Amino acid sequence: MEISTTDLGLAARVQNLSKSYGRGETGVTALDGVTVGVRRGEFTAIMGPSGSGKSTLMHIMAGLDAPTGGRAWIGDTDITGLSDLELTILRRRRVGFVFQAFNLVPTLDAQANILLPFDLDGRTPSALERARIDGLVDSLGLRPRLRHRPHELSGGQQQRVAIARALATAPDLVFADEPTGNLDSRSSREVLALLAAASREHGQSIAMVTHDPVAASYADRVLFLGDGRVVADKPRQSAEQVSAFMLAAEVPA
Amino acid sequence: MSALIDAAPTETPPTDTPHRRARGAWLRERGMGATVLVAGISTAFGVLLLSATGYIGAWLTSDPYLGGGEMVTVVVALLSVLLVGVAVYVAAIVTANTFATIVAGRTRQIALMRLIGASARSQRREVARQGLVVGAIGAAAGLVAGVAAGAGLLWAADAALDISTGYRVLQPVLLIPAVIVALTTWAGAWTGSRRVLSVTPLEAIAGANPRNRDEIAASRGRRVVAVGLAISGAALLALGVLAGLMSPIGVLIAFVGGILSFTALALGSVLLMPPLLRLTGRLFGRSATARLAAENALRYPERSSRMAIGVVMGVTLVVMFAVANESVKAVLTASSGGQPPTEMNSIMDTFAAIMMGLVAVSAVIAGVGLVNLLTIGVVQRRRELGLLRALGLTAPQVRRVVLLEAAHVTITALAFGLLLGIVYGWIAAQSLLGSVTVPPAWSSPTLVAPAIPWISVLVVVVLTAALTLVAAVVPTRLATRVSAVEALAE
Repeated sequence: MEISTTDLGLAARVQNLSKSYGRGETGVTALDGVTVGVRRGEFTAIMGPSGSGKSTLMHIMAGLDAPTGGRAWIGDTDITGLSDLELTILRRRRVGFVFQAFNLVPTLDAQANILLPFDLDGRTPSALERARIDGLVDSLGLRPRLRHRPHELSGGQQQRVAIARALATAPDLVFADEPTGNLDSRSSREVLALLAAASREHGQSIAMVTHDPVAASYADRVLFLGDGRVVADKPRQSAEQVSAFMLAAEVPA
Repeated sequence: MSALIDAAPTETPPTDTPHRRARGAWLRERGMGATVLVAGISTAFGVLLLSATGYIGAWLTSDPYLGGGEMVTVVVALLSVLLVGVAVYVAAIVTANTFATIVAGRTRQIALMRLIGASARSQRREVARQGLVVGAIGAAAGLVAGVAAGAGLLWAADAALDISTGYRVLQPVLLIPAVIVALTTWAGAWTGSRRVLSVTPLEAIAGANPRNRDEIAASRGRRVVAVGLAISGAALLALGVLAGLMSPIGVLIAFVGGILSFTALALGSVLLMPPLLRLTGRLFGRSATARLAAENALRYPERSSRMAIGVVMGVTLVVMFAVANESVKAVLTASSGGQPPTEMNSIMDTFAAIMMGLVAVSAVIAGVGLVNLLTIGVVQRRRELGLLRALGLTAPQVRRVVLLEAAHVTITALAFGLLLGIVYGWIAAQSLLGSVTVPPAWSSPTLVAPAIPWISVLVVVVLTAALTLVAAVVPTRLATRVSAVEALAE
C-alpha cells in the first residue's frame, strides 16, 4: 500500500513534478523533477528568483495548472488526473487563495467577497463556520468595512479581506502568491503577521510564494527554488539569512 | 456578426502606440466590426426605405386611376423619415456605447500617450476620427447593399404588380442616409469617448488600479431637458386622448406627444433604467451566479442603460403598432355591429405587419449592440474571470453568469417595452377613434379598451429570448476559455 499524504503529516505534496512549455529549442522547462511536501499546520515560504519555477509549482499544487509529468496531491486526493470541473470544485472547497493584486471581485462588497467560496458552492456557512468567519472578521479588523466595495478599501484592507476569504472555509491549504507585493511596508508586516498567526494559532497550512526575504522570514520553513529544482529546504530564517543565501545562489559557482 | 467574432483581441501591449502600429490596425480592434455593421444596417435600411417611398410615389402618380396619391406619398415619406430616424438614433446609441467600451479597454494606451505628452483633447479627437472612418466604411457598404437590395425589390414589385414605373433606383437622394449615418457614427464616437478626458497619465504605470465603476454622468442640463420633454409629452398625449373624444384629429396631437415623450425616454435612460435593472436583478435570486450577473449588468450603469433603451425602443414600437392595430380593429368590429369588416381588417393587418417589420430593424441594431456590449465586457473582465475561476467558479457557472447578464438587460427592456407599447398603442387607438360611435348606445365618446394581440406579444417575447441566447454565444465562448493562470498573470 502506498503511503498517503496524511500519513506523512503533509497538507499537499508533489512527486517528481515537471512542467515544460513548448518543444525543441524554444522549449522552456519551468519545473524539473520536483518532489516536495507542504507540512500540515506550517507556514511555508517558497523563495526563488524570477523564472525559478516557484509560481508554476504553486499553480500546479493549487490545482490551477496541469503538470507535464509527475503527480500532485492535495490532502489524500491525487489531483493530477482530475477534470477541470473536479479541480474547480476541489479548489473552492479545499484551497484558499491570496494573490498579489486583483484579489477581490470589484462588484461585491467585502462580506460577499469573504463568503464567495460558500456562495459558489451553493450553500450557506454552517453555525460553526459562521462563528469562524465572525472571529476572522474581528481579528482582521474588518467589522466596520464589511459593506464596503473593494475600491473603497485601502490595499492593506483589500489583502485582509482576501485573507479572510482564504481562511473562511478552513481549507487544506492556503496559497499566497506574493501577497505583499503591492503593499507598503507597514501593511506588508501586518499581512504577514496575520498569515503567521493563522498558521500558529489555528493550525492553518499555508504556502507562500515570494521573492521578498523579509516576507520569507515570517515563515516556519523556507524552500528555495532555482532553475526548476528545489535547491534548499531550510527551517525558519531571518531576513538576513535569506538574503545571504539568495545572493550566494546568484553568484555563479 | 462574424465581424465581432473575428475581431482581434484588444489586449494590445501598452508600448504599441499608434505611431508604431501598422496604419489601420485599430480597425481590427474589437467593437469596430460591430460599429461598421450597425452603420451598414442603418444606411441600407434608410436607402431601402427611400427607394420604396420613391417607388410608391412614382407608382401612385403614374396610375391615373389611383386617387389621393399625393397624400399617401406624404404619409409614406413621413413614416419613412421617422422609421429611419429611430434606426439611426438607436445606431448612434449603440456606437456611443461601443466607443465607451473601446476607450475603457484602451485606458493604458491613452494614459501612455498622455504620459508622453499628448493632450487629452487630441486623444479624444483621434477616437472620434476613428468613429468617422468606421462610420464612413459602414455607410458605404450599407449604400451598396441597400441599392442592390432596392433594385431587386423594385424589380420584384414591378413584376408582382405587373406595372412599369420606370423608377430609377440610383438617385442622388440616397446619399443622404449614408452621409447622415457616417456623421451620427462620428457623433456617437465623440459622445462615447468622453471618458478619454478623465484618463490620467498615472494610469499608464503598472499596478495602477483599473477603474471598475463609472459614475453616472447625466449632466444636469440633460436631466432638465428630459424631464421637461417627458412632462410636455405626457400632457400632449393626455390632450390627444381628450381631443380624440370629439374628433380623430386627437391622434395628431397624441403623435407629437408621443415623439416628445419618446425622446425624453432616450435622453433620460440613464436616470430611468438603473432602478429598473436593479429590480430585475432581485428576481434572479441570491445565488452567487445570479448576484455576479446582476452586479455586472449594473457595473457601468450608463452603458447598460443606453443598451437597454435601444431594445426598449424596438419592443415599444413593435408592440405599439400591434396594440393600436388590434384596438382599432376591435372598435371597427363593434361599430359595424359585431361583424368584423374582413377587407378592412386584412389591409390593417398588412399595414401593421409591415410597420412592425420595419421598426424591428431598430431592434436588430440594438441586438448587435447588446452582443457587442457583452463581448467587450467579458474581454475587459478577463482578470476577474480568472480570479473567479481560481476561487471555484465552474465553467457551467461562467456560462450561467453570462447568460443571466444578457437576460438581465433583455428581460428589463422587454417588460418595460411591453408596458410602454401597450400604453402608446392604446393612446393611438383612443385618440383616433374616441369620437366614433359604437352600439349598443350609438353615442360618443367611446372608451376604446386596449386590445392586446397575444400572438404578436408572444412573437416579441420569443424573439427577445432568442436575442438573449444569441447575444450570449460569443461572450460565453470567450469567458469559458479564460484560464485562471493566464488571466491572473496579466
